[in-house]
Amino acid sequence: MASSRIQATARQLSKTFKKKTRFEIGIATDLPPAYKKFWREWKVLKPAAVHYVPQESKWKRDELTGETLPVQNIPIPLKYPSEIHEGIWGGEAVIKGFQKRDPRRRRVPHYWVPVLKRTVVKSEILNTNLSVTVTDRTIKLINDHYGFDHYLLKTPACDLVSMLALKLKKQILIELMNGCPRYEYDPAKQKDIYNEYKTYLSSYTPEEIEWYGLTWYEALSKVAKMKEAANKPVPLKSVYRKNLVEKLRAANKESDNSPAEDISTTTSWLSKMNPFGKKDEA
Amino acid sequence: MFGLRLALSKTIATGPNLIHQQTRNTFVLKRKWPPPLHKKGGKPSKLRARHFVYDLIEDTSVTKKSDLKIILNQFVDGVGNQGDVLSLRPTIAYRDYLLPGLAVYANPENLEKYQVDESKPKVTSKYSSPYVQRTMGCLSRLVLQIIMSKTEPWTLQPWHIRASFRKACYVVPEHAIIMPPVTITGPDLSLQEKEFYVTVKINNKEEVNVRCRIHHWATGLERLPWVKDHWKKPFEALIPEQASVLENLPLPT
Repeated sequence: MASSRIQATARQLSKTFKKKTRFEIGIATDLPPAYKKFWREWKVLKPAAVHYVPQESKWKRDELTGETLPVQNIPIPLKYPSEIHEGIWGGEAVIKGFQKRDPRRRRVPHYWVPVLKRTVVKSEILNTNLSVTVTDRTIKLINDHYGFDHYLLKTPACDLVSMLALKLKKQILIELMNGCPRYEYDPAKQKDIYNEYKTYLSSYTPEEIEWYGLTWYEALSKVAKMKEAANKPVPLKSVYRKNLVEKLRAANKESDNSPAEDISTTTSWLSKMNPFGKKDEA
Repeated sequence: MFGLRLALSKTIATGPNLIHQQTRNTFVLKRKWPPPLHKKGGKPSKLRARHFVYDLIEDTSVTKKSDLKIILNQFVDGVGNQGDVLSLRPTIAYRDYLLPGLAVYANPENLEKYQVDESKPKVTSKYSSPYVQRTMGCLSRLVLQIIMSKTEPWTLQPWHIRASFRKACYVVPEHAIIMPPVTITGPDLSLQEKEFYVTVKINNKEEVNVRCRIHHWATGLERLPWVKDHWKKPFEALIPEQASVLENLPLPT
């Protein structure tokens, strides 16, 4: 009896107990909603299907038995090597798995690695050419979006993956927010480019742009720095000095005011005494 | 999750929605043994080793990619005028036209900006073929060496020129060669340090002048001494009327 009751409470507890998310622990509680939005776009959203063909329908009929089964697209797990952050791979990554080359043989471990090439991409907003490591898919996406800037601005962070692309996107957004200062020498072109890309600015506020493209560690250090700057400890030395100066000033004022009043109003015989005056005056 | 993605893409992509288009890139794989179904709204079960056995469906790095349409934003020599739409292989279009800034993507805004009318017939070019300019450039840079006998008497004929062109890897029919106005006879060693030009008519339309030099050939002791880089040296014109034209022809350096 008692044991069953304990089990029931444990079950209830397990239902009510909620694990703390990373935004509810320590300094991360001070992260602004702008960063939470970026985090959601970067880590929570599921990236587009690159290495498999997702089934579009919701249900599927088994050909043999005629049984209706739900379609559950379970993505192929990808490996993200550190080199991915030095290039723009367009959503591709390394796949670790096995090949079954012969039905009678044991499976063979295999890595499917994308073909990387170094080429130049042209950013109109930044007014520069960049030499980056890309895949064929990146170039195809750039061509499909009619330009590198359009590709970066239109693609969510979960599909860009690499830090290089995210930092470039942030820089492009900052540049756009400031009205393309790199084209100051040609106001007509500056206006053209701003008008072409200004639609993207509508989905971000200045604060969101400030917090865009930061890693977890960078965001935390930014929060820590902001906190430190906000409540900077003032040395007691300067507090006391200030207090003292104020006190002295107040005292000085008092002493300035009081003798004048005293002399005019007092009737004491001492004040009337003038030791340097003539004898008959005193 | 997919609903979230859709909402986000709608806010981000105001233009044509490109995220939902089908993508077939690099290694497209398929599980040989798909994982079991999970409960509705539940957690997918832990993947076993057999769920990591993949079959290759497609490798798009070897499939042919469709052509890319671009609009020239300036006159490009031998390619087209401003506003011409080109349909090229994507690598060539990207590397040779889009990156140097000679062309822009043929998106609706640019089509409107450059006022491209694709139905309009293309202006017939003044050249008989798109490769004429290239051929003319090659021929005008050529120094044609005409090898003639030092011992046997000869008169310069069109077939001599044709054979010399063939030696220089140019197939030129005899009817396309217009000889110089004077007859040249030899052997005459004073011709060795002289030059003249013949005119080649391409497709019976374009004319190009080719610099020619006669070299006297013999074997044994009669052979003329070897001269270093003789094609780089400027020579005197054989026919005084041709001197001004020869001066304008480029010499290889």
